Amino acid sequence: MKDANLLLRRFGAALKAALAIAFLIPLFFTVLVSVRPEAEPVTNGNIFFGSEVTLDNYQRALDIAPWSLHYLNSIVFVAGTLLVQLLTVTAAAYAFARMKFFGRNILLLIILLQLMIPSGVLLVQNFRTIQLLGLFDTRVALMIPYWGSAFGVLLLRQTFREVPLELEEAARIDGANLYQVIRHVYITNAIPAYLAFALVSVSSHWNEFLWPFIITRSEEIRPLTVGLNKLIKTTDQGAFYGQLMAGTLIVIMPLVILFLVFQRQFVESFARSGIR
Amino acid sequence: MALRRVIYVLLAAALLMTFGVTYAQDDIVIDFYFPSATANDAEGIFERYAGLFEEENPGVVVNPIFTGSYTDTRNTILTELQGGGAGPDVAVMLSIDLYSFAEEGYIIPAQGFIDAMDNGADYVNDFFPALMANGVDEMGNVWAIPFQRSTPILYYNADLLTEAGYDSPPTNNAELVEIAQALTTDERDGLLVPVAGGFPIWMYQSFAIAYGQNIVSDDPTEVYFNTPEAVAAVEFVRSLGTDLGVGPAGGAAWGDTPVAFLAGQAAMIYHTTGNLTRILNDADFEVGVWYLPSGPAGDDGAGYGAPTGGGNLYIFDDGSKSAEELDAIWRWVMFLSSPEIQADWGATTGYIAANASAWETEPLASLAQEHPQYGIARDQLQHVGKEFSSYATITIQGIINGTLESILTGESEDAQAAMDAAQEQIDGILAEYR
Amino acid sequence: MRLSARQRSLVGLLQPYLLIAPTLVLVLIFNVAPAFRTVNDSLYKPARGLNAAGRPPEFVGLQNFRDIFDDTHYMGGRFLRTLRNTVIFAAATVGIGVPLGLMTALLLNRGQPLLGLWRFAVFYPSLLPLIGAASIWSFVFSDSIGLANALLRTVGHPGLNWLGDRNLVLFSVVIVNIWKQAGYFMIFFLAGLQNISRDIYEASSLDGAGPMQQFVYLTMPLLRRTLLFVVVIAFTFAFQTVEQLQALGEGGPADSANLLLYLVFQNISERRNWGYVNAMTIVLIGLVLVFTLSNFLLFERDEPT
Repeated sequence: MKDANLLLRRFGAALKAALAIAFLIPLFFTVLVSVRPEAEPVTNGNIFFGSEVTLDNYQRALDIAPWSLHYLNSIVFVAGTLLVQLLTVTAAAYAFARMKFFGRNILLLIILLQLMIPSGVLLVQNFRTIQLLGLFDTRVALMIPYWGSAFGVLLLRQTFREVPLELEEAARIDGANLYQVIRHVYITNAIPAYLAFALVSVSSHWNEFLWPFIITRSEEIRPLTVGLNKLIKTTDQGAFYGQLMAGTLIVIMPLVILFLVFQRQFVESFARSGIR
Repeated sequence: MALRRVIYVLLAAALLMTFGVTYAQDDIVIDFYFPSATANDAEGIFERYAGLFEEENPGVVVNPIFTGSYTDTRNTILTELQGGGAGPDVAVMLSIDLYSFAEEGYIIPAQGFIDAMDNGADYVNDFFPALMANGVDEMGNVWAIPFQRSTPILYYNADLLTEAGYDSPPTNNAELVEIAQALTTDERDGLLVPVAGGFPIWMYQSFAIAYGQNIVSDDPTEVYFNTPEAVAAVEFVRSLGTDLGVGPAGGAAWGDTPVAFLAGQAAMIYHTTGNLTRILNDADFEVGVWYLPSGPAGDDGAGYGAPTGGGNLYIFDDGSKSAEELDAIWRWVMFLSSPEIQADWGATTGYIAANASAWETEPLASLAQEHPQYGIARDQLQHVGKEFSSYATITIQGIINGTLESILTGESEDAQAAMDAAQEQIDGILAEYR
Repeated sequence: MRLSARQRSLVGLLQPYLLIAPTLVLVLIFNVAPAFRTVNDSLYKPARGLNAAGRPPEFVGLQNFRDIFDDTHYMGGRFLRTLRNTVIFAAATVGIGVPLGLMTALLLNRGQPLLGLWRFAVFYPSLLPLIGAASIWSFVFSDSIGLANALLRTVGHPGLNWLGDRNLVLFSVVIVNIWKQAGYFMIFFLAGLQNISRDIYEASSLDGAGPMQQFVYLTMPLLRRTLLFVVVIAFTFAFQTVEQLQALGEGGPADSANLLLYLVFQNISERRNWGYVNAMTIVLIGLVLVFTLSNFLLFERDEPT
């Protein structure tokens, strides 16, 4: 029995290493290609290194788009989206978790439809809505379709339902109003769920391309993915992998650092967030 | 609580930053949408042109807006216009987009502006006729002005050819196959024809023309996809990767082809002239350039063949623009198509400068002197044909691409049968326009 | 201000609606209403032929659906092939990606050196922009200058045409998607695992249960809700992530790796195809709905409300 366990552990360790290596190979070569001369593909000469280690690709990638502006825009985009989401999602989640009202299930189902409808096909109609609202080419236009989040409602509703009802009743007896109940009973007890939601929201909007691209024209408000797109669309001249890899690394670096620093908190947040 | 303060500050900042840029009230603003298809800093180049133009044209502001690839540009503009947006004033779009945008009533012909010019005929005649072909409708009205143009040419590694005893590039298909076979090794392909990766139609058209029948005509309701020439052409392309064994089965991928060539992994490639500058800059061997070899339509040179490609300048107006605005728009189009800008554009990017006089203008004139390869790309223009374009271009192009891919990858063994079926579907669609 | 009892009860009645109103309104405006409009538009054929732009669409009932399910129709041939790919793609992504996410979560649950780095190794692909990830893989899969073939050649294999071989390309696209999403699934499973008390394992160990028994009789039942949640998310993702095809051969050759949403993108820009595009969208939404709802019923079945 003991031997079998040891064997299983060894097997697990080997499997873990194999998986990690398989997943990391693309990243490993992304970094290598980004510092390899563009004219020397990996099939030519040493597979790991070219004739020199160069930062030319980074230089060219940096020259082609105003990255600091794009960074700022992406930060404003994800922050503005998240902040409003937190408000709308909290309110709706509380209502669905703890209030009884006519049409509750059907209204929840309608909101959940958002998860099932691919928004990519609704571009023309949503463009028209934005146009009617007079928001075309503004930061609000970027964010507004995401201000309602079915995923967030689902996640927080689940979490709120696990907050003991007695806590709310005690607060009510102490004279707390609705805002105070939500603020001090529910939000306080759901911080991990909020963190989990923030991770999902920030990483998905940081990488959002189609909608920001369609709904904005001014360089002053366009996010990082639009800059990355400039590096990708080199059709007539073929692939510029070095420059592309450099650009991709530039775009994801903040998220990577964020994850490495906070991964334990994130995982534990998810753990306490009610998705289990 | 500190966190709350941070949140408030962020929220305030987000709201403040909502407000965009504003222009002086009385300026005419031209929104100019452009795609990027090269690794050049197109945005920087257009900002520079806009600055030059604004100096000469006070009261007009040009606002260059990057709109992705050609496909992204097309979809962005259509989404905007169908969604009730204002759309661009001028845009660079594929030369083959003419019929779809004209059909929707989004663009207006350039012909009216040309007619109003003192020297309109001279202006039009300065463009290479081949580059005008896709911008003119069946009645002879000019709609679009050539700008970012290209055509496929043969690039060859002159060092490798010399090593193998060939002093000159192949001029017909028989020589092409012979040299390609001689130069094919385990590590190297003799010839890469990029027909894989979603868009085989363009390269295929070269062969169709070289076999004696372009698949399009001046009539946008006619497509010739199942003629004996069309079938023989695709069978030849397929054989390059099978029986003749000079390249990968199914063809090479578009984006990888120039990289493989630069790395010495391919002796000859078919690729666009839009790539000439990159290849000349990055190659560590002598790069030769020649016309695409001639086919059965005439081994003596009559059978040279290639389609044109690239983008034209389109003018957008739904009838609401004032004469003043239209005048400013036309001046911007004239500016971009002027010999000075075309010479600069061609020299910077490698696209073929569209008018003959640009080739006598600096910096292009000395560049062409220094690198004769540029001149060969230009001279091939006398042999090229119209790029595929018809009514329902996107749909029909999709049918043709799918059929070509299924033949080239061996899924459809009987090329004739597959092309007959495609032709039937195409005719069904085009019947609605006759 | 003091409210009368009557006013207070009215406020109480309206309160839940006010709380959900912002979310509901936004979802209705940006998701549900356009979707219903799409249902309506799928019953019309737009005007075709010369001067189509000025003419109204024609009501055709279910003809658009009949056309896209007709193999000889120009759109039907493409649609049916793409529909088949989409189902295979979704089944493979979920069928391989979710177990892989679970397995990595079990391996990387707790108590080992460099835990953060191990987790990063599996999770980082989910942090990449889809189009960036696809570009990295277009480099891996490139036939003549790509990484995969360079590696294969070092072991004497001539290499594979990952994106050019019609029998291989869908498989290649599936690999990319699994790589991109397994880490995302892993995070959810990790969360579920952390919630399972250690005491239960210790107790069962004392009872002589080995790791396999523990997995089958303890872990799996306790992870059931997480599993269903992840499966729902995985299916909705699988049907909706298609932007990667832009860098991975445009769904070709000859649509052998095309996916429904991408086929819609490819045809949305020509007016004559709007009816088909809407019909295809409805089929797509229908597929997602069926998969999601059936999972959801399982997910919520024994929940106390």
